[in-house]
Amino acid sequence: MLWLALRFSQLSLEVFSRGVELTGSLAVSEKVGNRLRVTSCNAAASTAGVHPGMAVSAAQALVPGLIVRPRDRAAEQESLAGLATWAGRFTPAVSLQPPDGLLLEIGSCLSLHRGLKNLLKPMRSGLREMGYSYTHACAPTPHGAWLLALEGMEVVIHELAELEQALVALPVNLLAQPAETLVGLEMVGAHTLGDCLRLPRAGVARRFGQALLHELDQALGRLPDVRSCFVPPPSFLRRLELPAPAHEAEALLFAAHRLMPELEHYLNLRQAGVQELELTCRHEKIADTVLKLGFVQPIRAAERMLLLLRETLGRTALPAAVHTIVLHARLIVPLAASNTDIFRDGVEAADGNLLLERLRIRLGKAAVYGIAPVADHRPERASQHCEIGADAGIPCTLQRPLWLLPQPLHCREDRFVSKTGPERIESGWWDGMEVARDYYVAQDRNGSRLWVYCEHSSGEWFVHGLFA
Amino acid sequence: MNAYAELHCLSNFTFLRGASHPEELVARACELGYTALAITDECSLAGIVRAHVAAKACGLKLLVGSEIRFAAGPRMVLLATDRTGYGNLSALITRGRRSAIKGSYTLALSDIQHGLPGCIALLLPDPLPSLAQAQWVAAAFPGQAWLAVELFRGAEDIDRLAALTELGAATGLPLVAAGDVHMHVAARRALQDTLSAIRLGVPVFDAGAALHPNGERHLREHTDLACLYPAELLGQTLAVASLCHFSLDELRYEYPEELVPPGATPISHLRKLTEDGLLQRFPAGVPSSVSALVKNELELIEELGYEPFFLTVYDIVCFARSRNILCQGRGSAANSAVCYALHITEVNPACMAMLFERFISRERNEPPDIDVDFEHERREEVIQYLYAKYGRERAALAATVITYRSRSALRDVGKVLGFGLDQIDQLSKSMAWWDGRQAMPQRLVEAGFDPNTPKVRLLMQLIHELVGFPRHLSQHVGGFVIARGNLSHLVPIENAAMADRTLIQWDKDDLDALGLLKVDVLSLGMLSAIRRALDEVSVLRGRTFTMADVPSEDPAVYDMIGQADTVGVFQIESRAQMSMLPRMRPRRFYDLVIEVAIVRPGPIQGGMVHPYLRRRQGLEAVTYPSEDVKEVLERTLGIPIFQEQVMRLVVVTAGFTPGEADHVRRSMAAWRRKGGLDQFERRLLDGMREHGYPEEFARQIFQQIQGFGEYGFPESHSASFALLAYISAWLKCHEPAAFTCALLNSQPMGFYAPAQLVQDARRHGVEILPVDVMASAWDCTLSLAPSSNAEEQQQRRQPALRLGLRMVKGLTLESSTRLQAARAHRPFSSVEDLALRGGLNQRELKCLAAAGALTVLVGHRRQAYWDVAGVEQAMPLASAPVEETQPALFPLTEGQNLVADYATLGLTLGRHPLALLRNRLTRQRLVTAAALRAFPHGRLARAAGLVISRQRPGTSSGVTFLTLEDETGSINVVVWRDLAERQRSELLGARLLAVYGVVEREGEVVHLIAGRLKDLTPLMGKLMTHSRDFH
Repeated sequence: MLWLALRFSQLSLEVFSRGVELTGSLAVSEKVGNRLRVTSCNAAASTAGVHPGMAVSAAQALVPGLIVRPRDRAAEQESLAGLATWAGRFTPAVSLQPPDGLLLEIGSCLSLHRGLKNLLKPMRSGLREMGYSYTHACAPTPHGAWLLALEGMEVVIHELAELEQALVALPVNLLAQPAETLVGLEMVGAHTLGDCLRLPRAGVARRFGQALLHELDQALGRLPDVRSCFVPPPSFLRRLELPAPAHEAEALLFAAHRLMPELEHYLNLRQAGVQELELTCRHEKIADTVLKLGFVQPIRAAERMLLLLRETLGRTALPAAVHTIVLHARLIVPLAASNTDIFRDGVEAADGNLLLERLRIRLGKAAVYGIAPVADHRPERASQHCEIGADAGIPCTLQRPLWLLPQPLHCREDRFVSKTGPERIESGWWDGMEVARDYYVAQDRNGSRLWVYCEHSSGEWFVHGLFA
Repeated sequence: MNAYAELHCLSNFTFLRGASHPEELVARACELGYTALAITDECSLAGIVRAHVAAKACGLKLLVGSEIRFAAGPRMVLLATDRTGYGNLSALITRGRRSAIKGSYTLALSDIQHGLPGCIALLLPDPLPSLAQAQWVAAAFPGQAWLAVELFRGAEDIDRLAALTELGAATGLPLVAAGDVHMHVAARRALQDTLSAIRLGVPVFDAGAALHPNGERHLREHTDLACLYPAELLGQTLAVASLCHFSLDELRYEYPEELVPPGATPISHLRKLTEDGLLQRFPAGVPSSVSALVKNELELIEELGYEPFFLTVYDIVCFARSRNILCQGRGSAANSAVCYALHITEVNPACMAMLFERFISRERNEPPDIDVDFEHERREEVIQYLYAKYGRERAALAATVITYRSRSALRDVGKVLGFGLDQIDQLSKSMAWWDGRQAMPQRLVEAGFDPNTPKVRLLMQLIHELVGFPRHLSQHVGGFVIARGNLSHLVPIENAAMADRTLIQWDKDDLDALGLLKVDVLSLGMLSAIRRALDEVSVLRGRTFTMADVPSEDPAVYDMIGQADTVGVFQIESRAQMSMLPRMRPRRFYDLVIEVAIVRPGPIQGGMVHPYLRRRQGLEAVTYPSEDVKEVLERTLGIPIFQEQVMRLVVVTAGFTPGEADHVRRSMAAWRRKGGLDQFERRLLDGMREHGYPEEFARQIFQQIQGFGEYGFPESHSASFALLAYISAWLKCHEPAAFTCALLNSQPMGFYAPAQLVQDARRHGVEILPVDVMASAWDCTLSLAPSSNAEEQQQRRQPALRLGLRMVKGLTLESSTRLQAARAHRPFSSVEDLALRGGLNQRELKCLAAAGALTVLVGHRRQAYWDVAGVEQAMPLASAPVEETQPALFPLTEGQNLVADYATLGLTLGRHPLALLRNRLTRQRLVTAAALRAFPHGRLARAAGLVISRQRPGTSSGVTFLTLEDETGSINVVVWRDLAERQRSELLGARLLAVYGVVEREGEVVHLIAGRLKDLTPLMGKLMTHSRDFH
């Protein structure tokens, strides 16, 4: 057996920096105790003196303008899973070495690839293209290969004897042992694996536990080390950070284009189709835009999904540029299964919504919507469009017209026959849309009941809404 | 024009609701011509004293009240009509606050079952009270209850007024107008919304309906009110206000009674105690100057009725003395002959020409000022004594109002305006600890904000408004208020964050303003150290040795001080003090008093230091512009050094009364912040011109007052500190082993870490013995090596200092006690024996092994660790020893031992780390501290050392002072601002630093002015040292 260990030492950093051309200093932070500390940083930051383990406050004092992102372990896991799926093209036996490594059994498929060189080459270019940096090592035991990769020794070792020679020189702190054990080894002067092996076995077991010996034995091939193969997850979720925030539908479609084939590949593997697909567009500072694609029948073909996505994107007004897209196959069903029920005729499902569906098709999705109240004192912001039938939230108890004009209409005060009020509204100073008005319910000469206001700054009058 | 009294108004002491200071509200109400203003903070009277002071100054009638939300019931405003009502209200607030966690309160209607005698209730309209509630209030407060009508130009105003009118008719409760005021002007609306959002913990744009719909909750003009409220409702406000005639001025502090034995009067008792004390102090006869002083002081004390205050302090000090807790009084009244007689201070009035004006002022009716410092580790005993003696109903700590600073304001405002946490963090962190508020715009730009965008401008404006707002109440460091009766009838008491502590809602300025007494029970680390050192010296000398036994005016001590050999000495051990000492060369006690006061921001900003030094060194003639000035300044060579002198100068040169001068000092900080300084400047300059002083002199005095107002150090404090400085210097000079031992056992305290203290002691010939489980106690101890030579014994060779187990990181006092008890029984024979009999667990054993404390028992660190790790947990008593193969373990190298020493003990007894690196350093042409001391002025030099401290005084225009240490001593480095900016990373990050620079020499004071910094930390490998960053 020959194991190839891949270690992505910069993974925590690369989940942020991959795909973005970054010139400044970037560091990833994590809470240790109750202080934020740097866990990794890019070259620019380390040139400026930042190093892992440093307090974030110190790093920021050192490098003004340092970008610090809190560590995102979920994203790392996701990336690692993605890498494992990808690595499936080289060998069926891929196992995860969390949090930042993969172990590939390649001995059985070397001849297929016509030699190690021909396997490593596409791997190297593939990983570089995806923006991951890594170290690798080959050895007859998985843990041995892993330890070598951890140390950054890019070697290919075929024989156990040769492996032992390489391993004894490695420092003990590479071992997957509790910190206490590592400190203890350091304290008795055992700095290398060789030092550990030279200590009396019984004494070591007594002091540092059997686990330490076990690990060493596995690394050396003296004990079996069975690794379970990676199985793709039951749901499909991929995210892609865009190199530069994009606003245009075409750019997003292009990005999605890169994820769809992966989905198709995944569905093929699982003999399944997708019935509900969600594309989340992430914006800076404001809430995500979520596009939902539902299919009457589960589908698998990327072509069809893209077609629908194009249509949906074309109808959607994005509120801001998008920096990341996330593709989530929400409902995956085996393709063979039946998706109709013989005891129902489908009428129930269609019922009252049928009209709405039709209206939507005729008038466009944007023209048919529900209204939900929003907690804001400013009338123009006190409601928002929502999905029909969505939770209506807290109803408003104040006297408000059903029809609010999209734009207040300028008018003259003498048009009103009578008016009651005022209701003073002063709010919204925080977003540049400040409102300072006195509202009245007024009646005009035609007997219409109007909702009018006087602007504090100008003293001018406007009609803002009509009561039914 | 209708008259109006506002009956419902919150100040910013209703934290995160009120958006104006009490003073602002009062000033605005006055400006609008209100008949009266009630400050009704929510279940609090914390802002009332400030409002009272302001209202008194502008002649506005202030009503005292509080808004309270009853659990499952209505909201009410309760207003005190008289002293009884005030007491009841205060007690009610206390009840609510004490039964809830800090910062909240719980009160139910059952708490005012029978109303609240002396209080008026306003039933608040939001939410609309039920008929039953209104009836309940009407019954509980017969003839003393109103329905408040609060209209804010809302859509529902008309309906609300109608509903309330109906409710009033149904219950017979009269209606009255009120404003639910949250701010003094409408312009605070944005801040008020911001505060609401902070309170709710949501961004302001998500706060929605929780914000007020408009800015009507401010003090409104009569015309606005008149068009909103029916005239009779406005008229009712006057009726309510006229019923309230309570003023805080009616509060009379009543001293505790139990301090005087039956049959005696306070003055007779105090007189007797003083006379007894004098006989003790002066066994050979009381000097006539002292008895005259005492007579004078006692007369004044009697006249002003302050006997109980002195008796209270005397009682506390007696308690401390009975427990052998060292203490020392300071403050204007503390350095009096009476206090010397009562053992409140050790500063002998016969040896000092104490300034008497500030002792107690006849004119200002304010309590005398005595702070008593206690040993820092034992102050809690004193506090518990006070609680036990007077009870929690009668004694509580004064509050300290924690206010918003730039950073906290930035954090809170930034969050609710929707700035990212990392952005806020970055901005807040990029403001280094020395940056003031001025640095904000610059730091904004550096952190990548555009200061011209509307959002950032809003941020800046809101921060600007918020800074200085009270945020919460915290406990004062030690100011106790003790009352004769129930304290909660005087001021509300609430829970502190610390368990078993209670505090009153007023801070020390509030207490001052109302003339309430407070005794400061403070803690001082140096007192712990001095007490320990005196105990050691008593043992060494075989007789009790106290502070009073320390010989005064010892020339050897002054010689040592003059050479700046003052590591560990109280007050004069700092870097700045050390560079001043060789220039000052103190020769007598009063010089030390000056020394303590002169290296302070006040004299430095006022530009007094150099003139004083020149005069002292005889380089400049001592002159006085007049005889009056000479009298004030003669003892400090014509240069004002102490706060008292500056205040006195204002009196003699500009015709201020002493009371006015003191007012100036108190107001200085406020004036500088809010304006008002020019008015004082004009008056001062005019006054001095009238008294015939030249303009130049007047301007100079004005400058000095500005510096002194905030930072000046009073002579009375300085004298007490100087005494402790002298005592500690004497101990260092004559008993260095005992002194170092005491300092180590009192850590953490002072300026230097144990590593430096031990280095310094060894430089003075004290032998230091390592930590050893076979010999060490918990504390560091002294051991006199048995000497056969009787003559040597006679010379009293310094004992050796054995480091204690307390130095071992990770070991607790309990385990050390067990270990010592087992060892006393019989010495340990092995690690197993140690573990078993000492009852130590693996972790503790490992700490000992790592610290090298097992060397004598089993051998070097690695061997010890191997053995310790092999000890089975819960070893059965009779288990046979396990037969094991012994590994071959090599001892640590010197460097590795050094690293281990620092990691486990924080210090090393081996060679100094720099000694190990010296060859390398010499190759880089880096010289030692000792060599540097011999360099002439202006010579280029390179030196390196461990960074011991970095200081950036606020007064030194951006200079950073570094102290480096090598194996021969310390190196003082000056880093100018531009270099600091260029080499920020080296300056802040390096643990081992090389400095290339120029020697600046002034007499014996040598500084290295840095030209380039080089981080040599990598040379240290894993050697970790602690640097302490001081503000």
